[in-house]
Amino acid sequence: MGVTIEQKTRKKAQLPPFWSLVEAHGSELLTHARRLAGDDAEDVVQEALLKALRSYPRLAHGEHLRAWLYRVTTTTAFDLGVRARRATALPAPSPGPAQVFADEVAPFEELIEPLSPALKETLELRFVEDLRYEEIGRRLGCNEVAARQRVSSALRALRRRMT
Amino acid sequence: MKLTEGFLEGVAAAAVDEGLVDAYYATVATALGKLLVIETPQGVCRIGFEEEDPDALLANVALRVGPRIVRAKGATSEARDALEAYLSGAQNALDLPVDLALAPSTFGRSVLAGLAAVPRGTVTTYASLASSIGRPGAARAVGTALGRNPVPIVIPCHRVVPGGGGVGGYAGGAARKELLLRLEGYPQGPTPSRGS
Repeated sequence: MGVTIEQKTRKKAQLPPFWSLVEAHGSELLTHARRLAGDDAEDVVQEALLKALRSYPRLAHGEHLRAWLYRVTTTTAFDLGVRARRATALPAPSPGPAQVFADEVAPFEELIEPLSPALKETLELRFVEDLRYEEIGRRLGCNEVAARQRVSSALRALRRRMT
Repeated sequence: MKLTEGFLEGVAAAAVDEGLVDAYYATVATALGKLLVIETPQGVCRIGFEEEDPDALLANVALRVGPRIVRAKGATSEARDALEAYLSGAQNALDLPVDLALAPSTFGRSVLAGLAAVPRGTVTTYASLASSIGRPGAARAVGTALGRNPVPIVIPCHRVVPGGGGVGGYAGGAARKELLLRLEGYPQGPTPSRGS
């Protein structure tokens, strides 16, 4: 009985239990959300954690998870900010922290909305799901080099729209 | 700025409700000490004693079942209450659904399944259990499989003792095994009849 099933089956580095990330980074994500969304910070964090949970198993590797959570929190704050502005339909809202930020930078999803579905998917795989090019290639059905090219051409298309 | 327990429980409950999780867990204080209870939507998949490293237990569940694991008191309350009541003697039955995702092998599963024929208040031996699952002579392997029981207490591996007397080994320690047998009304100093 000396060998537990844990020792028996542990093989390699992998994605840690999601809640260990929440315990390690939850408070700083709340601070981050507070800067972006003021009083809505807790809503943002809740929404962001659920969103992160949805895509967590699809992450190709267990690196940069903290940065990934920050990114998900940021895009969530933008999205909620946009929804809130649409709901109130005020042309010039009093600038709460969320709105200041959201007005400076268009939310990611709104930003990529006009692109073709293929380009949108490519950018989401790279910047929302934070996948490596190898995994992006696998998901798009092409090799790593082609995946790299697709991401950069999607970025070029995006830049053309912004300038 | 800190996230409160209430907020985190709310997030976890929403995640469970929306079917976004592979597993959820919480601890419960019992007569056998603090237990870590890990469940999947199918049932209890792991019970850990307080000496076991919870991070290692959860990492193994992440590897074998999936990494979407949250701490959820509400979702685990039924299992935790049932364990607490059984171990305090308030309840004589412990009927909880189990998920054997962590059982190491087909053989291991058949050994654990064989325990269904060993009711509360009785014991069997490693050798008889081996015979009862059609593997006479595999007593040692049966002992190993029982030692890897991922769901102790609920799957009653504590009801298997050496033919030569004594309570034998237990993942949670011999003292806990004795306590469980006493709780279940098995006479002091188990001396099982062989081949029963």
